[in-house]
Parts: sequence; structure tokens; C-alpha cells
Amino acid sequence: MSTAPMPVAVNTFREAVRDRVLYNLVFFALLMIGAAILVGQISIGIDRLVIINLGLSAISVFGLVMAIFIGVGLVSKEIEKRTLYSLLAQPVRRWEFLVGKYAGLVLTLVVNTSFMTLGLAAALFYVGRPFVRSDALILVAVYFILLELALVTAIALFFSCFSTPMLSTLFTLGIYVTGIFASDIREFGDLTKSPGLKALTRVIYYLVPNFHNFNAIAAASHGEAIPLVLVAQNTLYAALYITLLLVAASAVFSRRNLK
Amino acid sequence: MTGTMQMRSLWSVLIAVPSLFASIALLQMRIDAETRSIAPQKDDLLLRSPAAIQKMSFGYDSLLADIYWTRAVQYYGARFNTKGATYELLWPLLDITTTLDPKMIVAYRFGAIFLSEKGTAGAGRPDLAIELVKRGIAANPDEWHLDYDLGFLYYWRIKDYESAAKSFLAASKKPNGPQWLAVTAARVAQKGGSLETSRIIWSEIYESNKDPKIRERALETLQGLKAAQDEMGLDQIAAEYQKRFGRFPASVAELRSAGLLNGVPVDPLGYPYVFGPDGKAALNPDSAVVIPQDLNSLPAPSH
Repeated sequence: MSTAPMPVAVNTFREAVRDRVLYNLVFFALLMIGAAILVGQISIGIDRLVIINLGLSAISVFGLVMAIFIGVGLVSKEIEKRTLYSLLAQPVRRWEFLVGKYAGLVLTLVVNTSFMTLGLAAALFYVGRPFVRSDALILVAVYFILLELALVTAIALFFSCFSTPMLSTLFTLGIYVTGIFASDIREFGDLTKSPGLKALTRVIYYLVPNFHNFNAIAAASHGEAIPLVLVAQNTLYAALYITLLLVAASAVFSRRNLK
Repeated sequence: MTGTMQMRSLWSVLIAVPSLFASIALLQMRIDAETRSIAPQKDDLLLRSPAAIQKMSFGYDSLLADIYWTRAVQYYGARFNTKGATYELLWPLLDITTTLDPKMIVAYRFGAIFLSEKGTAGAGRPDLAIELVKRGIAANPDEWHLDYDLGFLYYWRIKDYESAAKSFLAASKKPNGPQWLAVTAARVAQKGGSLETSRIIWSEIYESNKDPKIRERALETLQGLKAAQDEMGLDQIAAEYQKRFGRFPASVAELRSAGLLNGVPVDPLGYPYVFGPDGKAALNPDSAVVIPQDLNSLPAPSH
């Protein structure tokens, strides 16, 4: 297997760190500290719930912002700065470059998410709650968020291969929102009397990435068991979709005229 | 740029930035005052449809539920014991909260208290409280506390002792449901809302709750129930005195002189009871003990 994507991935990670992307951790820390101190005073009986819900939601939102806004610039930035040409002059194929860029951003997201998870654990510890076995579910929810972020990054990278950053952002956001409402789209189709529309909404439902699959925040906050088979299914679902997007992105990028 | 000039510009910034922020804050205060005078602030919910809010939560429905629950608590807290306060937004807020997060047990349990309390202490809507708790039971069938709360609402607010007994029994059969609830259910079914049964139920609320406000409320009610029980006992002694002497006692001292009482009975806060001209025992006017309303509908204590 080719190891060419590795240096590209490491460089992408270094670049993200140099660009002070990880500064969002400071905001996350402040958010957690604020929530841990405030919530007990303004609400009743939900100290633990708020910390988990807020922490996991913030991990998801911060990660999404990073995945979309950095993801759409992965290719265009290299073209704009003309660094792509010197890179491709090396023995690096275009698909290897894309996979490397993708892996670099996913690595950044994993590091960022790991630090935020530590912050969440610290906030839970602060509100005076001993860790229990069901807290492992928080890690499952974090894993699902990471799968979601990896998928969003792949979508952003795919669009960035043939479109401008602005349009790629809009397309990625559009797919993300459609993916969240996938079940509703199917339900709307079921409500109509038209078989054609019903079939169309079903096709859309199975075509767009269903981001609802990756939402385990509520289950984690209430300590509800998440079946291992669901973890495996979600992992496979994300892996298949990411592979599909990376293959499509490589195909588009290989044919792109970079002159 | 020379060092002196650099220092001067640094000082200018250090003075200018806080001054500008202070000016902005002052201006905002003026704008707030002006806005308040034009349109007084009114609580409202822009969106009342829980389903619509759920769709718009973009998957962050559990976090939104926490926000709505906090809003419900703040809304209730701002009106609690305020003369003329109404609670018309309490139900929509609880409805949204529990739709967004059907597993949030605390919202059903405390929400039912907020809804069922009478007067200035709550919305005075035990019917909605029962609906809320029933919804909670449907979403969390293994949670015995909700069946217990439903039984309590039937017992204390509606005085439907049959339904209360059924709910207490259902709670005792749930996973981790305490067995004493089966005994309570039997007692409620047999003796309805006797003072003794009420005392047992409130004692359990006091013992099993960690929330200081609920414990305080339970303790106050227990003191009131004890006083009601004492008054009934004193009334019986006063009736005995009337049989012997043809008139009601004017004071506790007369009962002691007649040998019907050994000491001076005092209420849970230590104040001696007094007698009215009709021979009925009453709380000392200086005492802060409050006998729960609607106790007249409860049967006499069983001994």
C-alpha cells in the first residue's frame, strides 16, 4: 500500500495547528466551566444532563464548523497558494494527495475532539459526580460524532475538488441539512398520494447520508445502552460513504485541468 | 516610531478601550429603559409547537430540552408566591421540554408539582399535572417514581383514592419499586385519605427526597397534619369536658384541672393550642404552622 498520503496528512495537521485551529478548545473550556458553575444555580436536577448534552453538542458543532470550513479549502487553498504544483511534481498521485489531505483533517478533528472529551470529563468531575459504568456511553456518542465529522469532511472535500470554497460550503451545508431531515423527507413522501413522489422521496432518503444515525447524545445523557451492532453498522455506513466520496473526489480531481 | 510614542499609543488604547466599553454599557442601559417604557417586557413563547421545535433542533433536541426546562424553572421561580401571578406558559414550556427529551424524569416530577400546586404557589392544574406524569410513564415505563407521583396527585390533589391506590401498587411492581408502596396502596384503598395515611405518604416524601425545597414543603405539611391530628384529639377531650361540666373549656388549663390532660399540648413548633368559644381547639395565633387546605374533606384519624 502506498505511504505517499502520510506526509501530506501530517503536513495538513501541522498546518491546521499553525493556523490556530485548536484555539476553539479555549472556547470549549470556557463553555464547560460556565455551564458547570451556572447550571446548578439556574435550573433543577439537570446538572449532569446539561454538562453531557452541552458538551457533546459543542463537540459536534465545533467539529462540524471545522470539518466544513477547513474541508472546503483543502484543495482550493493549495491551488491558490500554488503549493499544489510543487507537491504534484513529487511522486505523489492526485488521489494520494486527496487521501492525505482528508486524513490530515480527520486527524485534526480527532485530536480536537479528544481534548474536548477530556474537558467534558473534567466538567463532569467538577459537578461532583463520580464516574459510573454508563459514562462509557459518552465515549460511544463521541465516536458517533467523529464518524459524522469524518463523513462531513469527505463531502466538503468532494465539493472542493470542482467548486469554489463558497459554493462548496453551501453544497456541504445543504447535504448536511438534507441528511438531518432524511427521515422527514421520506415521511412527507409517504403522506402524499402520488406513487412517483413517494418513490422519489425514498430514493432521496437512501441516497443522502443519514446524519440522524449518528445522534446518540440523548441516549448517552440518559445512560441508555447503545447496541454494539448499531456501533458496527454506523461504522460500516460511514466507511462505505466516505470511500464512495473519496473515490468520486479522486475521479473528479484526476480529470481536473490544473493549468 | 520611537519608544515614547509607542508607550503613548499603548496608554491611549488602554484608556480608550475600557472607556468606550463603559460608554456602550451606559448607552445600552438607556436603550433598555427606553424600550421598556415603549413596550413593557412580556413573557411569551414564539413557537408553541413542540413538534416544530423538535424539527428545528437539528438533532440537538436534548440540549434544547435542557434550555426549555431551565426556562420553565425560571418562569415558575419568577412567579412563585407572587400575588396575582399566572402560570399560563408553564404547560407549553413543560410540553416542549418533555417532547424534546421524553426521558427527562426531573421535568415530569417537578413539572407536576409546579402545575398542581394551588394559589400563588403553582398553576393549580392537577389535571395537566396528571397528563404530564402519564406521558412520562408512557415514555419511561420502568420508572417507579412517576407512578408514585401519579398516585400522590390522585391522592392529595384529586382525592381519587381508588386511582391513587392503583398507581401506588403499580409503582411497587416496577423495577426497584419499594415494597412499602404496596402497603400504602392497600391502606389508601382501605381507608382513603385519612390523616394517618396522609402522614405516612408525606413522611415518605420527606425521607426519600434530597431536594431541600421539597423536603421543606413536606416538613411543613407534616407539621400541619400533626397539628390537625392534635386538634381533633383535643376536640374529643373538649367534648368529654362539655359532657361533664355542661360547657366547653375556655383553656387548656381547665382541661388539666379536670384531669383530662396531663400536660400542656403544644403544636410542632412548640406553641400551646388554644380553645375557641365553640370548644374547638385551634392553633396559637403566634404559631407559623399551617394546616393543609381541604383537610375537612378527609375522614377522622383512625386509631
